Order: sequence, then C-alpha cells, then structure tokens
Amino acid sequence: MNRLSPSFSADFDDVNQEIVLTGRMRPRSPDEMRGVTDLVRRSLDGSSATVYVNVKRLTHMNMTAFRCLANVLAGACAENPGRMIVIVTSSVITWSAPLFKTLAADQPNLSVEIYDSAFYPGQTFVEDESFIPILRTQTKMTWRHEREILPRHGLREGLTVADICCGIGDFATLIKRHFNPARLVALDHSRKSLEYARRVAADFGLNSIEYTYGDASQMLLADNQFDFVTCRHSLQIFNRPDILLRELYRICKPGGRVYITNEKNSHCLGEPHSETIRWTYEQVARLFSHFDMDVEMGPKSRRLLNDAGFDAIQVESFMVTNLDGDPRDFADVIEAWENVYAGQMAVRRGDPPDFIRRFRQGFRDHVLAALHPKGYAGWPIWAASGRKPY
Amino acid sequence: MQHASLEQEAFQDMTALTLDAGLFTSEFRLCDTIAEYLANIVAQSHEDPARYANFSSLVINEIIELAFRSTEPVGRIDIDLLKSETRVRACVAFAFGKDSSTTWATFDRAAAPSRPHPAYDLAALAQAVDVNLFVETRGDDRVTLIADFLVREGTR
Ligand SMILES: C[S@@+](CC[C@H](N)C(=O)[O-])C[C@H]1O[C@@H](n2cnc3c(N)ncnc32)[C@H](O)[C@@H]1O
Repeated sequence: MNRLSPSFSADFDDVNQEIVLTGRMRPRSPDEMRGVTDLVRRSLDGSSATVYVNVKRLTHMNMTAFRCLANVLAGACAENPGRMIVIVTSSVITWSAPLFKTLAADQPNLSVEIYDSAFYPGQTFVEDESFIPILRTQTKMTWRHEREILPRHGLREGLTVADICCGIGDFATLIKRHFNPARLVALDHSRKSLEYARRVAADFGLNSIEYTYGDASQMLLADNQFDFVTCRHSLQIFNRPDILLRELYRICKPGGRVYITNEKNSHCLGEPHSETIRWTYEQVARLFSHFDMDVEMGPKSRRLLNDAGFDAIQVESFMVTNLDGDPRDFADVIEAWENVYAGQMAVRRGDPPDFIRRFRQGFRDHVLAALHPKGYAGWPIWAASGRKPY
Repeated sequence: MQHASLEQEAFQDMTALTLDAGLFTSEFRLCDTIAEYLANIVAQSHEDPARYANFSSLVINEIIELAFRSTEPVGRIDIDLLKSETRVRACVAFAFGKDSSTTWATFDRAAAPSRPHPAYDLAALAQAVDVNLFVETRGDDRVTLIADFLVREGTR
C-alpha cells in the first residue's frame, strides 16, 4: 500500500492491471496530488493492453484532484492510443460516473463503467431475493436471544446506533422498537433488501430509520459517529473481514462498542439422525469456503476484534433451537437454507446429483428433528463485541 | 452557470453561518468541515441521507473552496441554506478584489466560462452532475454563488 496521506491512497495491482484510488481526495493544491499522479503515470507507462482505474472506493474528490487525474489520463490516452483505460465506478457514489464520463467524451480510448458486483465472492447468492426469507426467519429466531444479550454488550436506550449489512432491516426495526435509539442508520449493498426494509418500516410507521445504500468496506458515514455499531452474520461472508472491521471501528465513537455475530455452521446439530445432519453441515462449511466465505467464523470473533484494535472484548455463544417458540419457525429456516445451499450454491459449484441428494437429506433430517415431538435441533451463534479505545 | 435573476419562489431560512474571511482563509481544512456540515443538513429529508449528503457535499465543497481561493481576506463569508417546497438552496457570499469585478460580473450563461476563469471547474462540475448553479453580484465587490438541490427523492 502506498500511503500518500492519511485521507487518500493510490495502489497498483499488477496482476489485474488495476490502479485503485481510495479515500477522501480533497487536496489544497496539485502538489499534494503528486504521489497519486506519479503512481498513475508509472502504472500506465508500464502497461500496454487495458488498464483499469478503480474509483469505487474514492468517496470524496475536489476538482483540484480531478483535474490532476484528468491531465494524467488525457496525456496517457494521447501517448498510447492503442491502450484502453477503463474507469471503474460504483453506483453507491452517485457523482462518480457522471463526472468521470466527462473525460470519456474527449478520449476514444477511455471508458467509464459502473461495476457493483464482485465486492465479495458470494455476492450473487447473498444479494439474491431468495435470501430474503432466510434472513427474515433467522432474525425472528435469534432476536429472542439477542434481546437479552445486547444489553450485556452495552446497548441501551437513547444511543446512536448503526446496523451495517442490515439485510432486510428487520433487526433495525426491532432495535428501534425495543431500544429506541436517538439515531439509527442501517446500511446494506442490496437494493432489493433495502427496498423491502423501507417498505416494512413504513408499514410499521417507523420513519426515522435512515436506510442507506452503501458499501460496508468504504462507507460514506463519517468517523466517530456511533455509540453502538452492529454487524450481524456478515463478516463471515467477506473474504476480508479485517477491511470491514476497520470501517466498523472507524465509524464507532471512542468508548463505543462494535457488536458482531457469526456462526459455526459445522456445529449445527439435531436428534434423531445426528449423523446425517452433522455430515450436511460440515459440507455447508466447505461449500461456503469454496466461495471464499467463512461460516465457521464464530469462535474466531475474539481474535478478529482484538486484531482490529478493540479492547474490553466480550464473547458469548448461544444456541437457537426448536424449543425457542414455534418449532415451525426453525423448520422454515432450515428449509430456506436447503433451498439456497443445495438448490443454488451446490449446483453452481457443479456438485453431482448424488452429492446434492445426500446434502439435502441432512437438512430434511434437521427439519424432522426440529418438528419431532421428542426431537431437538440446534444452530449455534457467537455474539461478540469490543470497545473502541478512547 | 446562470447569472442572477432567480425565479420567484418562497424560500425560508434553514441555516446561516457567518465567518470572518481572515479566519476562514487561514485554514483550508475548514472547507471540507463546513461542506460536510452543510451537506448533512441539505440531505436530511432525503430517502437516503448518507448518499445524498455525499453527493451534495461534492458541489458545496467546490463552492466553498472557490470562496476560499477568491475571497478578499477581510470582511465576512456568509453561508446560508434556504428551503422551498422543492429545493434546498446553498448560498455562499464573499467579497472579491476590485480588479476581479469584471470577471464575476460577466459570468453568465451566454458567455460560458472559458479556462482561466476561477469558477470554470465549479461550473464544469455542476454541469456534469446536473446541479443548477447561479451567480449573483452585488455592488462591485461582492458575489454570491448559489446551488440548488432537491429537497427529497432519491439521489440522481
Ligand atoms: C448474511 S446477510 C446478513 C443480513 C443481516 N445482518 C441479518 O442478519 O439478517 C449479509 C448482508 O450483507 C450485505 N452485504 C454484502 N456485502 C456488502 C457490502 N460490501 N456493503 C454492504 N452490505 C453488504 C448483503 O447484501 C446482505 O444483506
């Protein structure tokens, strides 16, 4: 990483032929841009085919910075008309594509693309609508426990709270109703989930939840804003949870806490048929790791929080079971898992029908355990939090 | 960028900020701080305040930076946010030196700003991101830069 100033940076990734510009680029004078422009020029000089300039995480820019970049890019376009420069923007930052497109107008070998996929490896599954029923029933099951757990981690009435990777917003809605925060921001990168979240909030007459479309790995939220930041079941779907934690840390106030929940899928259990159930959930963990997601993350929470700089770390685990309320709810969760994990992800991995059949059987046995009058079915979750030091 | 003659619409005061020009020009980082502060207010009734604040802060910051570079270091910088039914208007007024009076007075749509004009970049930015920008001069030494944002709806 080539740190040019505390607020912005430029990197060149040789393998992907990608220049990555990140941060808040508001220099007072072109001099402060020299590090960036030199890196961009050098990287372009050394590349012949197509070079990508990734500005997806460039959240702020002034025209001093823009002109400096524009000059380097225009110069490079003129010098080497055979090379393509593709500027990659994100739809999270609304000004980015229109502004960079003004450069493309004069340069035939420069183009601008809006690229919102590949934020993390499993994005296609997680941002799919079929995930919505999973999330909805999961939160219903976990809330029973978390409602008791959250105060032990410091949540109380009247705090400023952010729920990052909020999904369909049902957790935010519950927080609003039970903990009445002074301010509540909920961020996600799935437009479908946010649409759903806004609709639900409106139906409940809760109009003060600030839903925002954003990228959790480079948020538009300012530093040191929130007393309590939650990120549930989401660190585990990123291949770089450390980047996300850095952002959660950044927006948290000193003395505030970041609360995360994660699973350990291979420890899902049930009776009867404990063997088939265990086999299936071990396969779930492997399937996710095939897509670079770590659903075994729960017990790693302490290390992750520690490495991200938090202190006063608390970790506890709880088991969602079929004895928590209506067992049909738990059965619904398991069926939703089967649909996505066996029905979509395993198929995408290219698993043979025999495997998928056996894989499905474990879920069905788990449902049976959940609904059986003498059965027991469980799903273990780790809730952990750390304090941002003063 | 348009010159003056703003259409009639009832605007109410939202926020007013007055800074001593000497203090303002002593610290460049104030531009960013003020821009973020105002942008959060501009975006407050939007469906997605964080995103609209990021959008409006781009333009507001550029206006404030232009004031930073163009103002005389004496007198006041007046920053106002006004609100109508449909728009939030950001106004930044500052004093310019006598020798730049023609620069500011001739700044209108017919004579599209050409390169060396101090507001060239601001005008280009506003056009690129589709924000209406106006300039009003008062007397021969004071100018107000004005940008209009939508009160609500999603981001553009
Ligand atoms: C497994 S879901 C968990 C959702 C919610 N916290 C819950 O427990 O129901 C993961 C969520 O992270 C969101 N997400 C993934 N990548 C993101 C990113 N880069 N920025 C913001 N949200 C992201 C997904 O859209 C999805 O809603």
